[in-house]
Amino acid sequence: MSRRQFLAVMIGLAAIGGLVAANLTDDDASPAALPAATSADAAPTTSVAEATPTPPDPLAAAPPVLGTAGDLVGLDGWLQTDATQFSDFDGSVRVVQFWTFSCSNCKNTLENLRGLYDEFEPRGLEVIGVHAPEFSFEEDPVAIAQAAVELGVRWPIALDTDKTNFRSWQTGRRFWPRTFVLDREGNIRFDRIGEGAYDELNATVAYLIENDSDRSS
Amino acid sequence: MIVDLLVEGFDSALLPCSFVVLVPGAAAVIAARQESTSAFFGFSIGLVALTFLRFSGRGGDLQTGFVALMLAVAVVLLAIPLVRRLNVVTGAGGLLVGAAAGVLWEPCVGIHFAELLNDLPTSRIVPGVALLAVYLIGVLAPVIALAAVLYLIPNPTLILARPVMLVIGCGTLAVLAVATAAGFSDDVISRLVELSVA
Repeated sequence: MSRRQFLAVMIGLAAIGGLVAANLTDDDASPAALPAATSADAAPTTSVAEATPTPPDPLAAAPPVLGTAGDLVGLDGWLQTDATQFSDFDGSVRVVQFWTFSCSNCKNTLENLRGLYDEFEPRGLEVIGVHAPEFSFEEDPVAIAQAAVELGVRWPIALDTDKTNFRSWQTGRRFWPRTFVLDREGNIRFDRIGEGAYDELNATVAYLIENDSDRSS
Repeated sequence: MIVDLLVEGFDSALLPCSFVVLVPGAAAVIAARQESTSAFFGFSIGLVALTFLRFSGRGGDLQTGFVALMLAVAVVLLAIPLVRRLNVVTGAGGLLVGAAAGVLWEPCVGIHFAELLNDLPTSRIVPGVALLAVYLIGVLAPVIALAAVLYLIPNPTLILARPVMLVIGCGTLAVLAVATAAGFSDDVISRLVELSVA
């Protein structure tokens, strides 16, 4: 590649970068112009419309069984619960989310999760945040507990410090965040990589809670 | 979709999650010095190929020992042009580094990348690879800029002279290779993140 060709490529990339930067600026401005629908401690950086909790209408049909969930093993302990093992939550509809507190994409999912927790926890939903640290500064339980308070994470947190479960639950394809919904029998009924699909998540939980309400008490 | 992915890629380039990709990429182009474009293109091809294989569930989840070996071979390949300029060898070195980064990377996933990843196992190969490449162009923006700067500086000064750059780039990759073999590459990247945040 000659220097002239290389410069042409770079100018092209710079032009694309300029367009993208302009797009970014617009995106950054739009949430500020919206009403205060988001909490101050976890304002989403993506579309507010996507991240704002929506009233969960249950699915019309049962969500498919995607597999059977494994156990949570080799944990360093639990925060914000008296539970000592994953089986203590058996029999409940569970949202299990793999996250880490410095991951901005994980933070972006928390507002919806808070809404889901507030709505359905009194009706038997358990939300379990499996904290799988990417970096060593995220391994300190005190820092995790402090971050949980700041981020409004009020549900139980399992400490998966060496990422044993992060890897065993996500064979080959490992991402932050990863959100599963388990029914009362421990079947996986929802599996989402990354942000988004909040309506589907909420509807799945609503379906599982409402269609098994006779077993939740 | 394409613009959204590119924008989200640019966004992700600023996140610590992307350091696992950016650090080896930067090390490869630094080691390659004036052949930085060859190293970058090789790196990009290796990264896109392995991330596609892994993220689509088609394979590519290699043992860490093999990844360490790839990095070690890459160090040798990137060092060869010190005595004999050979862009193909540099490109091959970059390709191995990119492939290794593609295996080690466990990304944080935004909303548009999530759509791609959730569809990737069932998508056709060409569109899947193309969309993944678009996202990675954004993520690799800092490495593209570094490669461009290194390529365009006509007369290496003492600090930017090839042997010095080679030691910095290959040294970083060698440390990563050893750390990967020993199973603590996460800690090395973590330390780099902490230093950059500080």
